[in-house]
Amino acid sequence: MNLEFKKSIAWMRENLFSSIPSSILTVATSFFVLGFFRGLFGFAMASDKDWLSVLNNMQLYMVQAYPEEDFIRVWISVGLALVFAGMSIGLWKSTEESSLSEVFSKFLRVSLAFLFFTVVAPTFSSVTDNDGIIQTEESFPMETRLQLLIPSAILVVVFFVLKNLKLNYKFNKSDLLCFYLAIPIVLMWIIKLPTIQLDSSNQRIFPDPLMPIADTTKTPWTIIFGLFLAFYFIGSRFKDSKNIKRTMSISWVLLPLFIFSWIFKKPEIDLPTILGQDIPIFIGIFLIGALTITFINNPVVEKYFSIYLGVLIAITGIALFISIPILLKSALLLLVLFTIVIPAVSSSTKGKRNLIIVWGVSLFTLSVLIRGGSSDTQIIVQQQSIFGGFSLTWLLAIFGTYVSFPLGVLLALGRNSKLPIVRLVCTGIIELTRSVPYITWLFFASVTMAVFLPEGVNFELVVRVLMVTAFFSGAYFAENIRGGLQSIPKGQYEAADAIGMSPFQKTSLIVMPQALRAIIPTLVSSAITAFKDSSLVTIIGLIDFLTIGKVIIGTQSIPVNFVGHDRENLLFIAFFYWIFTFTLSRRSMKVEKRLGLGER
Amino acid sequence: MSIIKTNDVKKWFGDFQALKGISMEVQEGEVLVICGPSGSGKSTFIRCINRLEQHQEGEIIVDGIELTNDLKNIEAIRSEVGMVFQSFNLFPHLTVLQNVTLAPIWVRKKSRSESEEKAMELLTRVGIPEQASKFPGQLSGGQQQRVAIARALAMEPKIMLFDEPTSALDPEMIKEVLDAMKELALSGMTMIVVTHEMGFAKEVADRVMLFDEGLMVEENTPTEFFDNPQNDRTKLFLSQIL
Repeated sequence: MNLEFKKSIAWMRENLFSSIPSSILTVATSFFVLGFFRGLFGFAMASDKDWLSVLNNMQLYMVQAYPEEDFIRVWISVGLALVFAGMSIGLWKSTEESSLSEVFSKFLRVSLAFLFFTVVAPTFSSVTDNDGIIQTEESFPMETRLQLLIPSAILVVVFFVLKNLKLNYKFNKSDLLCFYLAIPIVLMWIIKLPTIQLDSSNQRIFPDPLMPIADTTKTPWTIIFGLFLAFYFIGSRFKDSKNIKRTMSISWVLLPLFIFSWIFKKPEIDLPTILGQDIPIFIGIFLIGALTITFINNPVVEKYFSIYLGVLIAITGIALFISIPILLKSALLLLVLFTIVIPAVSSSTKGKRNLIIVWGVSLFTLSVLIRGGSSDTQIIVQQQSIFGGFSLTWLLAIFGTYVSFPLGVLLALGRNSKLPIVRLVCTGIIELTRSVPYITWLFFASVTMAVFLPEGVNFELVVRVLMVTAFFSGAYFAENIRGGLQSIPKGQYEAADAIGMSPFQKTSLIVMPQALRAIIPTLVSSAITAFKDSSLVTIIGLIDFLTIGKVIIGTQSIPVNFVGHDRENLLFIAFFYWIFTFTLSRRSMKVEKRLGLGER
Repeated sequence: MSIIKTNDVKKWFGDFQALKGISMEVQEGEVLVICGPSGSGKSTFIRCINRLEQHQEGEIIVDGIELTNDLKNIEAIRSEVGMVFQSFNLFPHLTVLQNVTLAPIWVRKKSRSESEEKAMELLTRVGIPEQASKFPGQLSGGQQQRVAIARALAMEPKIMLFDEPTSALDPEMIKEVLDAMKELALSGMTMIVVTHEMGFAKEVADRVMLFDEGLMVEENTPTEFFDNPQNDRTKLFLSQIL
């Protein structure tokens, strides 16, 4: 113990107080940090803050005006995502282990944070009363502090001792993750929170009575967590199956599409259209593709293949501009893309069979998604969009990244292309998009875009915003990726050429993987920027997560008065955004580390 | 039968003429060493043979196929000709085994298991089967260059080009690469080697050429080339290098 103490003194002397300037800096920054936390705690605890304005409005924050009778759809969406997450965590189960003392050191850190709070929190904080006069009040009396100090000090001591027992039981890190997730679920059934209750004359009862969390919140979460665990175990059973892993990765890509076009949207399906239109289109296009795959090695087909492809491209090009069902247009487009790769992929009988399966599944998925996406929704809300609050933020963030990333890759490749027209067009798109502020593009989406669309074509505002977002962040992605492409040494291209790879193989197998790996940090920061920038849609009248806290809640006055409580809501919003972006950047650091394995 | 035939090949980089008309033939199974001072055009010349550089005049015929702008011909020739570079140019994001199996799987369209079997065979042949699952960055220079040789051989080429394969290596690693090349030469592979390793030239080559300022100034058997050089430029070169 004594030795340890000496060690820490030595550490402090070396790292914190090594010279007079560094001592000054250490002290100054410590004061700054302390002051920051004192201010934060004081702000949060002042009696004029009504944190129930946040807690009571969770539903509004998450889904805004989504009708309550269809909430099951929201829960199914969340549930699906978490089931997928459970399955994936199981499939890619970590092989690392943590010892029990590492677990205790985590708990120690949490209790230290709690102790820090009880020690640092200021006794007095300033409060603005109804007349706008700032006063000082005692918001954290000494008795309360002592009552909290003793248990938190005990917790710290207990966990410190437990940690230093050096218990060497090992736990798998993925198992531990599930254990940590279980903690809030269990707490949900135990703790009671202050809740807004109204008396008979519709007045709020003060002080707010402590009530258990509503069943409509904790039951779904518990069920979802149960499913999460179940699929975690299923996933860990199949962790050696490459096929299931591959299917899982593709499912992740399809999941948001499926959620937003079917579950969240509740599309209005009419059977005659499906029977009379969708199914014939599916069968027809599927047969064309399947026949091409089957007979591709036939000498006659091989001879006329390029003519066939040319005709197909021409038909698709025309089809895009005439008014036929959107499913037919998309299916034709998919057919063209597929036909282009057929000669490269299908050489053996087995390869052909697999390709036909892939073709069928992807065409079917496309048909299902298009039917859901292009049908009207049965969800009626007073506002223009069924997406509001966090569901809108999420939609913009996911789909913004989703469409803009591949677009960025294409634009970057196009800008580096040898074909002058392609290069010119791609450079033009990139420069045009980047040279105009994002807000201008948003106004373009809300006001001007209708002028540019052909007559009769009209997209929802959210879709128009998604389109400009895709281009806007796509252009930034493209420039980042181009930077990555330039970092690839010339020798890599030459080596790929020398072993006879085609330009497509060279790009997809050699150049792109290396270029993308080199720019993961920039890509993640672009994705984070897209996530945060989605809050700008508020200026064209969409109601996102931030707008709810800043604008909507501040105007609620019946039956509970939350006017003027936007500051605590803003703090909550900042914290909420921080959790997501921080997690994302942490994950990306891990991915980077893992991929950096083979680097010099 | 000559497997490579060039006729009056000329090449310019801007105003600078790198090749001033090279005519030569290589027979099947022959080992040809090209040496010369830096800037003499020897690297440019062998890079023209698999179209990493484009020659502007003259003709190059490899295995009966003439090199033109026709992409089909270029791809056909590239799959016949393997190349080993001075700076190895392994793919750093792939393991050694993946580096070697990449071309057979994607270009030759062979099955994965077959390619991996063949790749292990080749890695054994160059003496590093135990490194198969490592990444190039974890290997020494000599080991990397041997992987590069295995990668080129995986395409089952008829001709191998070596562009100063030992110039970027530490002295003690040069031998292991040269040994792999000697073994390859003895197995009857047609090889064109640009190198300054005169020991290798003496021991293995069937013919030695000296390039200077874009021209081939001397062409001879190794014994004649080293013991009885005809050209004054060769004498000067040998006096400097030996």
